[in-house]
Amino acid sequence: MLRPTPEKTKSTKVPFKYRLVKAVDVAGLNFLTPVVRLCFGEEPRKQLKDIGLYIVIPIVAMLFGVLAWFAVSEMVVTKSGKLPNPTETLSAAGSIWDFHFRENDKLSAFEMTGAQRDARLASVESRLAELVPLEEKINQEVAAEGKLAQERATQRVAALQKKYDKLKTKLDSESKEREQVLKAKSESVAQDDMAAKKAYIADVRAHRKSLEVAKDELRDLKSKIKTLSDLKDDQLAAAVRKQTQIAEERQYLGKMKDQLTKANRDLKVTGALEKLDLDMASFFDAEPSKMYAAASKVVKAESRIAKLKLSEYAKPSTLPFQIKRSVLCVFVGFFIGTVIAIPLGVMCGLSKTFMAAMTPIVALFKPVSPIVWLPVCLIISSAMIPDPDKHFLTQWMWSLPILGKYQINPAFLASACTVALCSLWATMTNTALGVASVDEDHLNVARVLRLGFWDRLFKIVLPSALPLVFAGLRISLGVGWMVLIAAELLSSSEGIGKYVWDQFNNGGSRSFANMVVVVFVVGIIGLILDRMMVVFQRLVSFDDSPTAV
Amino acid sequence: MSVTVLKRTFSIALMVATCVCLSTASQAQDKQLLDLEKDSLKFGFIKLTDCAPIVIAKEKGFFEAEGLQVDVIAQPNWKTLLDNVITGELDGAHMLSGQPIAATIGFGTKAHVITAFTMDLNGNGITVSNAIWETMQENDPALQSETPPHPITAASLKPIVDEKLDGGEKLQMGMVFPVSTHNYELRYWLAASDIHPGMYTKSDIGGRTDAQVELSVTPPPMMPATLEAGNIQGYCVGEPWNQAAVAKGIGVPVTTNFDIWKNNPEKVFGVTKDWSDENPNTHLAVIKALILAGKWLDATDESGKLTNREEAARILSRSDYVGADFDVIKNSMTGFFYFQKSDKREMPDFNVFFKHHCTYPWYSDGVWFLTQMRRWGQITEPKPASWYDEMAKEVYKPEIYLKAARMLVEEGLLAEDDIPWDTDGYKEPTSEFIDGLTYDGKKPLDYLKAHKIGNKE
Repeated sequence: MLRPTPEKTKSTKVPFKYRLVKAVDVAGLNFLTPVVRLCFGEEPRKQLKDIGLYIVIPIVAMLFGVLAWFAVSEMVVTKSGKLPNPTETLSAAGSIWDFHFRENDKLSAFEMTGAQRDARLASVESRLAELVPLEEKINQEVAAEGKLAQERATQRVAALQKKYDKLKTKLDSESKEREQVLKAKSESVAQDDMAAKKAYIADVRAHRKSLEVAKDELRDLKSKIKTLSDLKDDQLAAAVRKQTQIAEERQYLGKMKDQLTKANRDLKVTGALEKLDLDMASFFDAEPSKMYAAASKVVKAESRIAKLKLSEYAKPSTLPFQIKRSVLCVFVGFFIGTVIAIPLGVMCGLSKTFMAAMTPIVALFKPVSPIVWLPVCLIISSAMIPDPDKHFLTQWMWSLPILGKYQINPAFLASACTVALCSLWATMTNTALGVASVDEDHLNVARVLRLGFWDRLFKIVLPSALPLVFAGLRISLGVGWMVLIAAELLSSSEGIGKYVWDQFNNGGSRSFANMVVVVFVVGIIGLILDRMMVVFQRLVSFDDSPTAV
Repeated sequence: MSVTVLKRTFSIALMVATCVCLSTASQAQDKQLLDLEKDSLKFGFIKLTDCAPIVIAKEKGFFEAEGLQVDVIAQPNWKTLLDNVITGELDGAHMLSGQPIAATIGFGTKAHVITAFTMDLNGNGITVSNAIWETMQENDPALQSETPPHPITAASLKPIVDEKLDGGEKLQMGMVFPVSTHNYELRYWLAASDIHPGMYTKSDIGGRTDAQVELSVTPPPMMPATLEAGNIQGYCVGEPWNQAAVAKGIGVPVTTNFDIWKNNPEKVFGVTKDWSDENPNTHLAVIKALILAGKWLDATDESGKLTNREEAARILSRSDYVGADFDVIKNSMTGFFYFQKSDKREMPDFNVFFKHHCTYPWYSDGVWFLTQMRRWGQITEPKPASWYDEMAKEVYKPEIYLKAARMLVEEGLLAEDDIPWDTDGYKEPTSEFIDGLTYDGKKPLDYLKAHKIGNKE
């Protein structure tokens, strides 16, 4: 979309309005431009029309989408459950958050000390006491609901079952009758009457055929009965859901109680210190012959306390952590890709010979799918880092302040390299194109000024190629994000991809909804990444240039 | 002396002061804590209910009581799990019994992997698709009932296999890994009814030479989906994936491995030999925690009802562990098994985590797996009987197990008779197989000879 840029023609002091419009535009939020303009009272009719077009219509479309989703989810019924509708998806997202917060609670409980711990323990215990009768009640409810559901299912199929029974007896008696008739008829067939015998065999064939037909009919009916009786019972499902919720909360509180008492770090340290005092005392008391043993006991206890103080709760990775790790991974891959792609692209753009040399290589590797790259990368990266627990590279990366907690391991590196290999092509070709299409006049000026190679590269070529380079980077990041999810799924590198795979493997009643949640998470993050690149692209683009999308 | 007295009074005062809040914590302090080489560990598992000892040891605090912080991480398939243990990405894992043996003898990835803990007995089932089940029922009128008599052999499957072969097709069935218990059990079940499941040869590592039924590898959690998609007509897998087939109405479990071989060994806890040598005390602490977890899982009240299994099923149903629905996991974990929706049977020994001295790493179990590897050609050359014994002793490490158990007995957490202290590592000969053959771990070659199908020496 090209937009007229009136601000350029104005005086040097740009009014606030235009600066705001420009900022909105650069931020890639140009759907907000008509709102800004409307606020300043500029051509209200046109602005309202634009608002309708760029804001209202998308919102209406979204609403339609949600409604369609509701409708479709009723229709798509699989053996793993119904396609989750928006409300179910929302509640699944809620439970994913709950899980995250609960794990964080356990972590903080592990580290709590003193009065704070006592207070928390008291609140946990009181809630636990509250839950006991609730749980009993819901268990009974579920049992009762189960019985009712059974009854409802029998009722649902009663008519069909009756029909089935009736049909079965009818068909059975019919076939028996026919059999009797046929047997009786055999008496009347003369020994040497070939035609009659052939007719008889035809009769028997017809009889068998009608038997098969009857069987098929019965089978059809039976499978109908089965589907009907297998229908999910909503009331029972609701009761079970509630039961699960309560049971999970109790499980969580039970673990919290442990974390605040016997598993609590501070308490463990206190206990160990106390034991150290005893050991110390017995060391002071020890006779010379036992002194060594007592002393080494003390030293051991000391080192254990030092370890205890540093111990951390082994928290399972939750979706927010996995999201952060995936984003980190895509940027690592994107960075590797860019570092390779831009220099190669520049060289391709500068030299026709180099371009000719590179073309077959690019053409060969560009279409290779991430699924092929990943195992190759995985084998190489695990071979390079044989024992990740002790290797200097991983040790160094794990000791870094912020990166450390993401546990960069071979699987992570393999995913990142796959991202790099799949995404660098867009940047490379765009860079080459950008560099090759630098205005001839600019280069002539450089020649007149007798600029050296590096000056020409950094002052003329790269700045004018930059918009296209960034357009390439934007495509690369988009491709990388798509590739990453697949790569993580295969390499089981902790991240969104692994989360999806785990959910698919779970096959529980909630897994389907969790996967749909991830669809949105991936979409939203992809959108944010894309917008981010748009902003960069705008910042380096000149107005009216073809890349100012 | 006065210093000592002072120290003592001080420490007593400190004890009294902290005693109140330490009532639960002090229990753990009586334990003899080991000098751990490594205190934060990563263990891998596959989403199956028999990963329970590891999950329970973490969630019920048995690891923490030993001073360990353990990350329990789901793995996508057995191959990745084993590779991650070998590369050191994981410290240890829930493994198929055949995996440490195969890795050590070099079938597949070669690495010296050992085990000092058997995680459970039984726990697998063979499921066939609804269509196959209906034809099996037609072939054998005895099966035409809501509650057919057990054990069901593959005899009624034989006509289906033959009919397919006549049509130029082979029945396809799924198992989880070439050296898995499931592969050997499925083969055992088929071969016991004269159906040839195919041989492994030097050039055929898919194990399909001469096969009448072709077996292929599918990761456990994918089994129901693969069956539903029609790529396979039946499979052998651990729980909850047989009950999942019943719950989704896509297949019928025909038999469990309890019927194929009563109280057969299933999963082990595997680590590399290097890891164990470098972290001997950590390994001991892990085994201690796992033994206690097994004991917790098999705890019963006076009437013999398993008391902790429902809670275990609740924990396992968490989405970062097994993740299947509680109701599905609960069936087998609490001692029931649905063969069809209308056929619920009591199977108190469907999963055994502690009874029958199950956690002990028996040499005879290792030898059985070696005989099966030889029977189906995964071991390409005939071996002398002594080789079987040597190899089993390379992999199974009862000395570590007994050391850990001794410590638990001293701490008062385990009874003396929970552990078979004086065994030579070989179980009594047993003939509780579906085909009635006798297996004596000390005579592997006689056992090989007794089978009709497969290598005989």
